[in-house]
This record gives sequence, C-alpha cells and structure tokens, in this order.
Amino acid sequence: MSMIPIAAPDTQEANVSAPTPFSSAGADAETLLDDPQEWASFGRQCTDTAEQSGAWESHVVVDGMHCATCALTIEEALLAVPGVAQAEVSAATQRARVVWQPGQVLPSQWLAAVRKAGYRALPAMDAMAREQRVREHRQALWRWLVAGFCMMQVMMYAWPAYIADPGDLTAEMERLLRWASWVLTLPVVIFACGPFFGNALRDIRQRRVSMDLPVALGMAITFVVSTAGTFEPDGVFGREVYFDSLTMFVFFLLTGRWLELRLRDRTVGALEAVMNRLPDSVERRGADGRFERVAVRRLVPGDVVRVLPGEAFPGDGCITEGATLVDEALLTGESVPLARGVGGTVAAGSYNLQSAVLVRMQQVGAETRFGQIVALMESASLQKPRLARIADQVARPFLVLVLLAAGAAALWWWPTDPSHALMVAVSVLIVTCPCALSLATPVAMLSAAGALARQGVLVRNLQGLEALASIDTVVFDKTGTLTRDGMAVHGVHGTPELATDDALALAAALARHSLHPVSRALVAEAARRKLEPFARWSFDEVQEEAGAGLSALVRSTDGAGTVRRLLLGSARHVGSAAAQAPAALQQVFLAWQQEGQVPQQLAVFDLSEDLRPEAAAVMEALREEGIGVHLLSGDRAPAVARLAVQAGIAHWQGDCSPQDKLDALLRLQEQGHRSAMVGDGLNDGPVLAGAHVSFAFGRAVPLAQSRSDFVVLGDDLSLVPQAIGLARRTLRVVRQNLWWAAGYNALCVPLAIAGYMPAWLAGLGMALSSLLVVLNAARLTAPLAALSGASGPGQMPLPAASVAVQPA
Amino acid sequence: MDILYLLIPLSVVLVLLILLGLWWAVYRGQFENVEQEGERILRDG
Repeated sequence: MSMIPIAAPDTQEANVSAPTPFSSAGADAETLLDDPQEWASFGRQCTDTAEQSGAWESHVVVDGMHCATCALTIEEALLAVPGVAQAEVSAATQRARVVWQPGQVLPSQWLAAVRKAGYRALPAMDAMAREQRVREHRQALWRWLVAGFCMMQVMMYAWPAYIADPGDLTAEMERLLRWASWVLTLPVVIFACGPFFGNALRDIRQRRVSMDLPVALGMAITFVVSTAGTFEPDGVFGREVYFDSLTMFVFFLLTGRWLELRLRDRTVGALEAVMNRLPDSVERRGADGRFERVAVRRLVPGDVVRVLPGEAFPGDGCITEGATLVDEALLTGESVPLARGVGGTVAAGSYNLQSAVLVRMQQVGAETRFGQIVALMESASLQKPRLARIADQVARPFLVLVLLAAGAAALWWWPTDPSHALMVAVSVLIVTCPCALSLATPVAMLSAAGALARQGVLVRNLQGLEALASIDTVVFDKTGTLTRDGMAVHGVHGTPELATDDALALAAALARHSLHPVSRALVAEAARRKLEPFARWSFDEVQEEAGAGLSALVRSTDGAGTVRRLLLGSARHVGSAAAQAPAALQQVFLAWQQEGQVPQQLAVFDLSEDLRPEAAAVMEALREEGIGVHLLSGDRAPAVARLAVQAGIAHWQGDCSPQDKLDALLRLQEQGHRSAMVGDGLNDGPVLAGAHVSFAFGRAVPLAQSRSDFVVLGDDLSLVPQAIGLARRTLRVVRQNLWWAAGYNALCVPLAIAGYMPAWLAGLGMALSSLLVVLNAARLTAPLAALSGASGPGQMPLPAASVAVQPA
Repeated sequence: MDILYLLIPLSVVLVLLILLGLWWAVYRGQFENVEQEGERILRDG
C-alpha cells in the first residue's frame, strides 16, 4: 500500500485492513503520476472560474465498475479526500473526472482512495486505456467460453437423469455423472463467476449493496445445495442437484455482459472514437534535420512534424512542404476532402488523406479547436441526466427490497421443502435486474450524443436532449444562422443604354470603394461572372453616404469625354421613383447624372440576403413537426421582413436589442411555449441562456466561450430539425427502456417468489432484459435521416411577391 | 455399459483440453481483428 498518509475516505472503509484485489499493483505506477510533467497527459489546468484557479482537472478510466451504484461509491470516496474539489464518475463510459488542488493533494493520493474503495483507476492516457480494454475483452471472452463449454458438457451429464425411467440408471452411474458435473462446474464457479463474487465480496466489505450481490448470492447458494446433494444425498438440502441450472444461468449472464460490453463499446465508443483521434506519437524534425518519433504531448508550437497519409494532424498548424487532401469532417461537418498546399492551414484531429506533408505547429493540446471539442464532449459524457439520477436513487432501496423478498420466499417455502425453498430464493435473486433500470437513460442519451457528434453537432449538456424533445417553438437569430454573412445579387435589369454585364462591371468598379454588404455582393457577383475590371473609367471624389449609397465623378482614362457623376444606391439616393420590388428583395439603382440635370437610371440590381439554401426546407420541416418558428433580429425591420418572407417565417421582429430578444423570448415562455434558441453563440449569449434549449452555430466562435446546450460545428441549418427529431426519438427510447425495466422487474420478481421461475429461466430473463435496454439504445446510433425535400445549393426558392407579413 | 466408467471421465478430460486450446487462442489474440486477414489482400506490400 502507498505510504502517503491520507484521510480514510469513509469511516466504514477505515476498518478494511485486508488488501483489496488491486492493492499494491498500481501503487508504484501511481506515484510516478505525481510528477507535474505528467499531469498534462491525462488532464488540464482549470481556467474556468476564479474559485478553481490553479486546480487541475484529470480524467481517469475506472476498472472494476459494473453498475451505477459503483459510480456513486467512487464519487463519495474521491470527494472524501481533502483537496479534491469535484468528482464525477460515469458508469456508462467507465470514466471519471476529478478536479483537485495541486497544493493540497497529489494524484497518487486520490488514486489510492479509489483503490481503497476496491476499484482501480488508470489515467486516461489512451495507450494505457486501450491496453486495458484489450485485456478486459480477452478476459470476458475467456470467461464466457469456459462457462459455455462447461455448460454444454454438464447438460449432457444431466440428460440421462431427466429421461431415464426409474431403475434404469444405476446408483453408481448416477453418482459418476454427478461427480463429472461437479468437476466441470468448478471452473465455472471459481473462474467464470469470478467477477460476480469479487464484486460482491468487495461490496460486503464496504457494507453496501450493489447489483452483483444478489447474483453472487444466488450462485453460491445453488452451488452449495448441489454440492451437498452430490456428496451427502441424505443431508438437509436433499439429494437434488442443479449443476445444469447453475452453469446455464452463469452462461446466460456472461453472454449478456459480453454482448453489453461490445455494444457499449460501439455506442459510447462513437464518442470515444472522436475524442481519441489524435495519434500517440508523431515524427518531429530535430535540430539536425532528422525526424524522430516523439509523444504528441511533447510538441510545442513551432515544431515541424511530418504527417503521413492516414494519420491525424497532431495540432493546428500550416503546411511548409507538400500538398495533400484533408478530411475535416469532425471540425466543420464538411465531408468533402479539402485540398491544402504549402501555407494552407490544417487542424488538429483532421485526417491527412493523400500524401506526406511537413507541418509547422502553431497550436497544440488544449489550445486547438479539437482540444476544445474534446473538453466539451468529455464533460458532457460525464453528466448524469435527471432521469438517470432518479433511476440510481431507486436502484439501491430496490436491491435491499429484493434481498428481503428472497429471504422471505425462502422462509415461506422452507417447511415444505428446504431444497426447493433455496432454489426459489435463488430465482428471486437472479431474476431481478436493476441494471436495466440504471442503464436505461445514460446509454440512450450517450448513443444519441454519439450519433449527433458524428454529424457535427456537439452536445454540451445531456439534460439538453430531454429539454429539446419537448420544445414547440424555435427562435432563430438572423445573421450568421439563417443567413450567411453578406448578401447576394439575384438579378440585374439593364436599360437600353447599357447591357447587364457592363452595368454590373461599372457598378462593381464603383462598389470596390466601399465595404458595405451590398457593395461587396456586387463585387463578388462581378467576379463570379468573370467580368473584366472596368479599366476605361477612373473614379474621383468617391463619397459614401451612410444608409443611402455611393457617388463618384467618372471620367474616361484617356481624358476624353465628359465628366459625369455616377450614383449607386437606394431609389432616393439616385432620385428615381421606386419601382415595384418584391418584398423579399432589396433593390439597388445605378444612375448617372450630368452637371445640373436629372439623374438618368442605368440599371437596377435585385439583391437579397444570402439566405442559406436549406432554410426554407428547414422551416417547412419544423412546421410539419408542429413547431412554431420565430425570427428575432437586431437588423433593420424591412430587411428582417424581407428575409422572413423569403424563408417562410410568419412571426418576426426586427430592430431588437439583446434585451428585446430576451423579452420576446420570455413572453413566449410566459405563453407556455417551450422554446429553443438558435444563434451564433456570441452576440446572443444572454438570449441563448434564457431559452430552454439553445443551439449555437459555432463556426467562428471559440467553443469554450459558447454557453449553448448544442454546438453545431457544420454550416447546415437542417441539423436543427434533425437534432430535434433525434432528441424526441431518444426520449422515446429512454421511456421505453424505463418502462421495460420497471415492468420486467414488477412481473418477474413476484413470479419467482411464487416459485414459477426456474433458476435457468431467471438467468436468461435477466441477461435479456439488460441486453434489450442496450440494444434499444443502439437504434439511436443510426445516421440521421436527411430532410425530405431539402433543396440543393443554388436553387433558392423565392416565394410570391405579395405575401402578407404580420409582425410578431 | 462398463465402458461408460472410462468414457465419462475421459470426456471431462477432453473438455478441459479443449478449454486449454481456447485459452491459447483467446490470449494469442485470435478473436481480435478478425477482418484483418481478409483486408490484407487489399494492402500494399
């Protein structure tokens, strides 16, 4: 044991002097972790709040955890160590997050506390964790095979006893068969049931009840009764043997656990696969120009590394040599490979697809966007949603109740037949499945979070999934969410004097002098149409009148011709009678004016805000789901009105300050609506916080600053209705799981008490019930369905010109 | 039927031998990466 004196995590645990199974194995390795150099490898320094300044946040993988009650125990043990500020343990991911003060406690001390509680914690360095997983898998498979083979053979030895007529089987032959059964049951009980007994023993030592205790008790009782029946047929337990039942239900339980383990790896593994994307080591160029493999966490900004095709980039940086294709699907939701040449930037966690490149690191570790994503996902995957907390609280008293029920059943049946009484108690112990109850919520929610993460939606807050499923109103912000930044030119109407392309080229030449979104849209459109820059004219005295337009003196570059004033802007600016424009469009006029004359109109440009092409389809999809859509924007009311018509949003409000937005949101909530806010995550901070659920389109936003429940990394608005759909399905699955688990226990426990449930059937029932819960949750990992009728890019559906617009 | 007195203990031994073989296979990693051999033909070298 470690020599460092620590406060006993628990008064009960202070009595425990016998070494636990994991006693000294890890102690030496743990003291190595006291070196501050190592801390960064499995955690990071907290910077969140003032009270935690200087504290470290570490992530560990906890071994030996089989149920949700274990998570509570470990949390309690960790929190009892002085200097540990926070501890969150997740049974579903088998990970723990510990926040601790370096001045008061060292990692080896709180790791020792976990060990004293009977578990082993490994720092979540990926290599160690992966090795751990391989070992765990092999052992689980091996235990399952032992149980399976022995079960088959024991079944064969039991067969004659079932079919033989009385007198057919000689007493010696029967004894021989029982002997053989006993010999083959031994490895099952001693080895294959090891984890059940080990966990139960640990729980007894800690004087608490966990889910393995009833099962282990059932196994022990069956084995003792059968052994007595074999060697002492005239004893109190009678001459019946139950080796076949015993091996069979052990086999069923192990099958259930094995499948559960694999499924959990696959569902929760989706999250983990994203988090563990960085390579362990990378080829760094040394001072002498040679490359050597170093651990990724030894990299510092400025290092030059060689990244081979198929590898992930270890940090953010720019390419100094070579060109390749990169896959940035995780970071941007963009699934098409992107070309990157010399000077191109690459992001940590994205894959190099084509050829080896040299990259100069600019940011590494937690600084990178990938680091922020991982931090966000890790904290989300450790949260206990409300429903899971309720289930956990129910599980413990339920277990005590089951133990009492089993005891009562045994007492009831004892006078008629002691052997039968014990087997009834065994059935009760084995058939109960609180595991299904406590797995029901977290497994489903983590599966959903994994499915969303693969599509580029990060779940900051698992509780948000529950809230998202119940919303009936979505409030959109305009700029950066409904629209891309900027505007787009839709149509150019020339006049007889000037062809459309020339008009556009002329307007673009003038617009080049301004940064107004309209000007930039005209320049961009001219560039898109590959128009020659208008070199025949030079512009002098360019003036921009805010909110109206541009004007300049134009003269021919060869000095000939008259000097005219060129005007570009609103109808008022160019002195023209406003033409009938569709409400969805903004019109910009180009005109020129000779000294002292009325301006002469040259061309009209139709512009609209660059609405995301999928916006209208998204609104339609939301309406079909029965969700109301609102638009709140800080932009001028006419612009908001135009956009609302274009996207098909009936309720809108322009000229909103953040306070107005918050007020509007609160009004909606007062009317009983449950609202989700979709914003860009930065300007909408208070509004996002005020909504029941919030989405942030976080392309440009530092993830650590965004306070929304969901962060959309991609650029696709249709992820919002998809996420809502998935959240609804998730809650449906959670509800099914909880009902199933409660119903199963409510039905099977009374049946077992009444004696209608043989032990082997009880084992099958328990294995199937927790398996069903995990399988049901696995349905959520399917890829999200695409929106029906989503229009492709470029086809912007413009609604009819005269749509009645009603302000919100 | 006397042969059963030999065959039954023999079957116990046989099961234990089979388990020994399985132990070898599991801990040599025979059940991990089962797609690996099939994919090998697609790899260079």
